[in-house]
Amino acid sequence: MKRLEGRRAIVTGGGSGIGRHSAIRFAREGASVLVVGRAANTEETVDLIRAEGGSALAMVADASIEANVEAMVRRCIADLGGLEVLFANIGATGTNTPLLEQTVEEWVEVYRINTISSFLAIKYAGRHMTAQRRGSIILNSSAASLRANAGAISYSAAKAAVNSLTQCAANAFAGTGVRVNAVLPGLIETQLTRKVFEDARARGVESKIGHVTPLKRAGRPEEIAALAAFLASDDASYIDGQCIAADGGVSSTHPYGRIAL
Amino acid sequence: MSGRLKDRVCVVTGAARGIGLAIAERFGGEGARLACVDVSARRLEPAVAALSAEGFEARGYAVDVGRRDDVRAMFGRIESDFAAPVAALVNNAVWARFQPLAEIDVETLGRMFAVGVDGLIWTMQAAAPQMERRGGGSIVNLSSVSAFYPAKDSVAYSALKAGVVGLTRAAAMELSGKKIRVNAIAPGMIGTPASIAQFDEATIHARQAQMPLGRFGEPEEIAALAAFLASDDASYVQGAVIAADGGWTVAAK
Repeated sequence: MKRLEGRRAIVTGGGSGIGRHSAIRFAREGASVLVVGRAANTEETVDLIRAEGGSALAMVADASIEANVEAMVRRCIADLGGLEVLFANIGATGTNTPLLEQTVEEWVEVYRINTISSFLAIKYAGRHMTAQRRGSIILNSSAASLRANAGAISYSAAKAAVNSLTQCAANAFAGTGVRVNAVLPGLIETQLTRKVFEDARARGVESKIGHVTPLKRAGRPEEIAALAAFLASDDASYIDGQCIAADGGVSSTHPYGRIAL
Repeated sequence: MSGRLKDRVCVVTGAARGIGLAIAERFGGEGARLACVDVSARRLEPAVAALSAEGFEARGYAVDVGRRDDVRAMFGRIESDFAAPVAALVNNAVWARFQPLAEIDVETLGRMFAVGVDGLIWTMQAAAPQMERRGGGSIVNLSSVSAFYPAKDSVAYSALKAGVVGLTRAAAMELSGKKIRVNAIAPGMIGTPASIAQFDEATIHARQAQMPLGRFGEPEEIAALAAFLASDDASYVQGAVIAADGGWTVAAK
């Protein structure tokens, strides 16, 4: 069964990692996908989807800028014929500078890319979806929003704000049939986390990555894509306002070991 | 259906009706081989017949999950009947009464916990070795939003369902090394005949008005979440407690 047959979906940050794999998964489930990203690899995602018979369009744009978000929603409706699913996936991590030395500039930038971009996606997709009384919006938060020491501090706080936005938007859209949920990935190897993995490899401790998670491994982008596809589909038709972790158990159990990576 | 549970032996407790039966049906549609457990042989028989009539491989086991020895023996029988170890377990069986604090009695509380907490421990205890032998598995436990946001007369029920959260997360941590995932579902108001019968019409309307999705859920919607968690689509989801409540509990009212 293709659960997204006939639906039109936007995936931001679709050029790599979780975004790319989600765009591919949505297309495999039958959706036509507008893949939005800042770089040329956005086109590569579209090529991958088309190569396996799926339907996709690329749009090179920065989805943290309001005019671009408005334009991507317009483009999806104009060129794909509608919009039922939005995965607001872009994000940026902060620095690991000691807390007492962090700058306002870093915090504003991290909030802009993680939190405000999520608000913008909800604002413009929400206008269309509430009017048509149907739609599923998925935000990309992080397991770092639930526990300390799972990401940079500014990033963790910005993602916690995304969780609150998920609840508040679900409530704001009460009675419209539009659902808003968030995925909370644990440690997944993507562009965002590449440095962690590269550093571990350089120090010969790659096999220890993920050892603080109960499942004893890092996650794969495909595993977040599968959760996003579930939330996009009618299989999640009674799930609204939820922040769902896919983190190998990190956020739900007590940390029982720490490994310097 | 996409066959995400193809050829896997899946045990569903409380499978004779309501949410449990919907889970068995959905799992059947995903290709699962169904071991349906219910305390009542009388209720189980027509349910298993209906599942078989839909073309699913289904067997019934009339067992009280609160009895450890019976649960152990049953899991042995399931493995030999299907000639394969159990791959997934859904702990849906529950026996509950809603009473004001002053009226809670020893027998009622004992029965609730025997089925709704002890029973989950006995089934997980019996299922885990089989899952380990096949290289992993998935356990899905039914909690409730009452674990976090209790409704009226639910001192016992909230404790029961909060107990499910605790045992789910603890089992997730303990069984991770065996590649066994353990997660929980926290349904909100689901429109089964039993739940609807508790309320008058005015209460039902008032409740629905509090929910962003404006309605009670359907058993099939809980089944869809159970299917996700049981399948490899949830391969990195561990120790999670996922509410399916139409957004009911996101807002302060």
